[in-house]
Amino acid sequence: MSNKMLTTPMRQLTYIVDLNKCIGCQTCTVACKKLWTTTPGQEFMYWRNVETTPGRGYPRDWQNKGGGYKNGMLQKDGHRPTLEEYGVPFEFDYAARLFEGKKGRVKPSPEPRWSPNWDEEQGVGEYPNNIFQYLPRMCNHCENPACLEACPNDAIYKRAEDGLNIVNLEKCKGAQDCIKACPYGKVYFNETDQKANKCIGCFPRIEKGVAPACVAQCVGRAMHVGFIDDVESSVYKLANVWKVAIPMHPEFGTKPNVLYIPPFVGPAMQDENGNMMMTQKMPLDVLQGLFGPEVGGVLAVLKAERAKKIAGQGSKLMDTMIGELSDSMMISPMT
Amino acid sequence: MNKFGSTRRGFLKAMGQVSLGMLVNGSIVMRTLAQTKDPMMQHDYTGWENFHREQWSWDKKTRGTHLVNCTGSCPHFVYTRNGVVMREEQSKDIPKLNGVPEYNPRGCNKGECAVDYQYGPHRIKYPLIRVGERGEGKWRRVSWDEALEYVANGIVDTIKNDASDCISVFTPVPAVAPVSFAAGHRFASFIGGHTHTFFDWYADHPTGQTQVQGLQGDTCETADWYNGRTILMWGANSASTRIPDAHFLQEAVLNGSKMYVISPDFNSTATKADVFVPIKPGTDAALALSMVHVIVKEKLYDEHNLKEQTDLPFLIRTDTKMYLREADMVEGGSEEKFYTWDTKTKKPVLMKGSWGEEPEKRAKLQPGFMGRNTFVFPDGHLDLGDLDPALEGTFKVKLADGVKVNVQPVFEVYKPKLNEYTPENVSKITGVAPSVIIQMARDFAMNKPSMIITGGGTNHWYWSDTVLRAFILLCAVTGNEGYNGTGVNHYVGQWKPTPLLGVVKLSFPHSPKKHRFCQTTIWTYYHGNVYDAMENDGVDTAKYLREALETGQMPLYPQNGRDPKVFICYRGNWLNNAKGLDYVLRNLWPKMNLTVDMNFRMDSTALYSDVVLPSAHWYEKTDLSMTEEHTFIHMTEPAIAPLWESKPDWEIFALLSKKVGEVAKKKGFTKYFDEKFNIARDLTKLHDQQIDGGKLATDEQACQFILDNAPQTQGMTLDMIRKEGPQRFKSNWTSPMKEGVPYTPYQHFIMKKKPWPTLTGREQFYIDHPTFFELGVELPVYKAPVDADQYPLRFNTPHSRYSVHSTWKDNVLQQRLQRGGPMCEISPADAETRGIKDNDWVEVFNDHGRVVVRCKIRNGEQSGRVTMHHEPELYVDLLGGGNSQSPIPVRINPTALVGNYAHLKFKPNYYGPGGVQRDARVEIRRHTGSVTV
Ligand code: SF4
Ligand code: SF4
Ligand code: SF4
Repeated sequence: MSNKMLTTPMRQLTYIVDLNKCIGCQTCTVACKKLWTTTPGQEFMYWRNVETTPGRGYPRDWQNKGGGYKNGMLQKDGHRPTLEEYGVPFEFDYAARLFEGKKGRVKPSPEPRWSPNWDEEQGVGEYPNNIFQYLPRMCNHCENPACLEACPNDAIYKRAEDGLNIVNLEKCKGAQDCIKACPYGKVYFNETDQKANKCIGCFPRIEKGVAPACVAQCVGRAMHVGFIDDVESSVYKLANVWKVAIPMHPEFGTKPNVLYIPPFVGPAMQDENGNMMMTQKMPLDVLQGLFGPEVGGVLAVLKAERAKKIAGQGSKLMDTMIGELSDSMMISPMT
Repeated sequence: MNKFGSTRRGFLKAMGQVSLGMLVNGSIVMRTLAQTKDPMMQHDYTGWENFHREQWSWDKKTRGTHLVNCTGSCPHFVYTRNGVVMREEQSKDIPKLNGVPEYNPRGCNKGECAVDYQYGPHRIKYPLIRVGERGEGKWRRVSWDEALEYVANGIVDTIKNDASDCISVFTPVPAVAPVSFAAGHRFASFIGGHTHTFFDWYADHPTGQTQVQGLQGDTCETADWYNGRTILMWGANSASTRIPDAHFLQEAVLNGSKMYVISPDFNSTATKADVFVPIKPGTDAALALSMVHVIVKEKLYDEHNLKEQTDLPFLIRTDTKMYLREADMVEGGSEEKFYTWDTKTKKPVLMKGSWGEEPEKRAKLQPGFMGRNTFVFPDGHLDLGDLDPALEGTFKVKLADGVKVNVQPVFEVYKPKLNEYTPENVSKITGVAPSVIIQMARDFAMNKPSMIITGGGTNHWYWSDTVLRAFILLCAVTGNEGYNGTGVNHYVGQWKPTPLLGVVKLSFPHSPKKHRFCQTTIWTYYHGNVYDAMENDGVDTAKYLREALETGQMPLYPQNGRDPKVFICYRGNWLNNAKGLDYVLRNLWPKMNLTVDMNFRMDSTALYSDVVLPSAHWYEKTDLSMTEEHTFIHMTEPAIAPLWESKPDWEIFALLSKKVGEVAKKKGFTKYFDEKFNIARDLTKLHDQQIDGGKLATDEQACQFILDNAPQTQGMTLDMIRKEGPQRFKSNWTSPMKEGVPYTPYQHFIMKKKPWPTLTGREQFYIDHPTFFELGVELPVYKAPVDADQYPLRFNTPHSRYSVHSTWKDNVLQQRLQRGGPMCEISPADAETRGIKDNDWVEVFNDHGRVVVRCKIRNGEQSGRVTMHHEPELYVDLLGGGNSQSPIPVRINPTALVGNYAHLKFKPNYYGPGGVQRDARVEIRRHTGSVTV
């Protein structure tokens, strides 16, 4: 399928996002931003972002942007999101108002029309049966990285020691084909230095045995990270033993190494008199739209395991997801 | 070909870590397989990767936290490179407790960019004196000396020409930055000024808890949430506003607990609930009482707990509705001793532990958080022994004067009222289906331990006290108190400075009895000439207030009808957050001859001040931090020296006290006599007093002073915290601390059976006070929200995910993650009937004020109300004046003015009227005027 030699890494780092635990707090977004993307040209980019689904997402309507693989063929003609679709970063002139006596209120510029989290918590459906779910997103460090294959300058590589897909900033010539090819909209173009920028998987931290910022700093304790060949790791157990962690949009064909535990907890539908019904509010087709047909089976496993906990029996799966010790969810969280 | 040495080294190091795992876990086969794969290093690893490695590097790592009223108290490390603070990250070293997930990593989206306030555009760099109008933002940069002299002149002139009590110092929340907190209180104490209450004023004080339990408040630490099997999230939205703690709920749910979220809107926490209970705003007490109704009807209640721990078996006279007192029965008997009816002997029997009973050993200390110190009573004091108190029935007793009267246990008196709260009736009030009420009641009574987690959503109402009384009743009738995983757990405001004694000694050097505590709600209502429109709801606030002030039940400063003249504000954004904002700006603020703000950022109060003094950021000074949400104390310390000309608050007040002495000398006015406290004051000694002759010259010394002077922290040192990380308290307020066990309150009462610090010595649900009778709240009942404003929509002003009150409201990153400015939110239906579209500018208004704000349409919002996250700064993107506080007047519930009823008395932040945030009604319409300013 690939027109290029893709290195098979010695080991692959795998990330898991537990959507049952993510509270949409944006701590990971901020942690990533403050660590990696603070220079001019990077204002609009959030390598890690948290959006509301169903929703238009960041960049806007990324789920229809194209790219990825169809029947094994790289789709090079994906959309290159505009700054407006990412959300033009608001600027504020506080100093003038607060210290120089400029009149009026401090206005965001440009006039707000869109931003990365514009439709936060709007979701769909009618109260009280409306739904929404937080969806943290980052580069998937895919096994079939469309970005890598699309790059005409061989600037993107998969690191041998951890399988992270990285843009070599020295080699990048600003062709932007990676941006078109990534179906997740997770490569960004830095206009200031004319290079593609993307999540680096926090490799400098990984090298020191420290979990990535978005994992180690996740206050929902919703993130797992580890080498998938490590049978003691929570990522191995969740993805390979219990098989409850699955990729988002598998049909994009890139084989993500960021996996999701779909949301199985959540309230039931209510009838018009407010009585609780048997069906859950979150409709299966919404989850299938995100995670493919597999998701139904995954939900069944998760529900059965929680039922054991409700009945006062144990569940190793639930314990793994609870993760009493952060150490059991990731390579060390400590810095 | 790897010409990049450090990759290899780092790689080996990572592998080294793994191999430790191999030995322990025996997973060597997999690893070997992984390692034998040919790495095929055909990529050209140049040194460029170092670029990213350098981004994650530092030459200094210090402890830090955010000294803001968020309740988080999250320990962080602060990373500095070449003298520039780069970023912060949670320190993740809070010790784990047994059987519950760990606290780490505590933090939030704001905390992880707190560094922005060090270098951001809001930073106050130099002392400033206003040259334009207040609020204009026109300043003259001055030297510290000039600024301090300006302030000192104002202070000395006010003492000389008016009185020392015309000087007001506002600084809230001692749990965060107790040293900073103490600096200004200490100063006010020595000059005889007044300081402000805040817990009540912020509408955070759980008034109903004080009424029932005689406590300022106490809760479990949040790790204990995990132990609840039935969890009612009731008026709290932890996923948005208790971000560091929310995980315990998701983890409890995975662990098999059942979580109900009771909320008018489908909020972020509700997405994780088993049951979302969409309730009509402000009707929570009705729902709780209906649950009690079901529990009583189905006989699911814990009879022993009711008889031993509550006043429900205490006898009430049917003729007077008052408790049967010893004074009724015995000549010269106590007014504060009470009876039950013993079903065995068929006689009234005096109950032990009530207010009139003095312990053998008198208490040396009266902790500020409780009505009186009942811990000196022996263990087992409440034990019923052979006594079997009646809960039901009507009995006859002969009074001392020979008259026979009927008496009934409180429970019997209560039953007819309780009978009204059938699920069917209550469904009509609350909108909650009877089937849901019944199921919830059964779960709460049977799927134990059960707890209620509550917050501003139920506490910010006029009748919040009745709501809390109903909540506590629900826990008491089901025996859900005192055990892990139970209780009414109230988290609004970072209100628990656990080592209270140390903080008090540092803050009130003459003793709290010789300090002027102003009750801020009354102060604002009175000096702001606030119109509360309560006559529309049939309450004459003025009548109750007059009585409370005339009889000294509540304080008002300055005394003798003087106006306040000097306002010194720091660590708080009083003006921006004031209820009745428009009244305050119009009537109160102009009374001040001098307003001073000490701050690192130009918040609204600073902007509207005359003198602004630059204070050190949280990462530039030493202080302590703690919260009710966990039981560890930790610290912040300078990562770098205070930037520009800023200084730590402790130092600022030391310098100010020195300057006041100098100015006083210059003016020939140094000594005055404070008659109220019988203190001869001498301003030339002020500096020496403030720093205790040099023993308290630095903030580090002050930190250690606090640690040394409270039993909870004795033996701890700053250095210990610095090196070992957060330290667990050695003792606590109403339960002992047990190693490795999450703290849960009330064990001194429930397990040790010491009296509750209330009139009856029990959890007291019946309050036989005239004010409570007049308002019909002598028992926990449902009172409908105030409808004094004749407008169609309820105005809801909750906390936000993206700010801590007003802090971070101006942060650029947080704005970018929202919509660039403040918003209000309404339901699609309410928008449609008003022709409002998403992102339109709208006016939210009533008779008290108006705010013009952008509107977001949200499916999860209930129709009939408009939500606006509270307190955007007065300079952020709204149109016209004001903010979310403009349509909200100050409203005083008369029950909180009671100060002559045993445990119901004014003590700062213990009992007094709260701010009322949620009862306001408004209309909203599309703004058609100009939007450019
Ligand atoms: S920090 Fe964790 S809980 Fe918060 S939004 Fe990110 S993934 Fe979700
Ligand atoms: S792994 Fe690191 S770079 Fe990638 S999204 Fe997470 S924090 Fe950002
Ligand atoms: S909750 Fe408070 S202490 Fe914790 S990270 Fe956020 S701002 Fe800091």
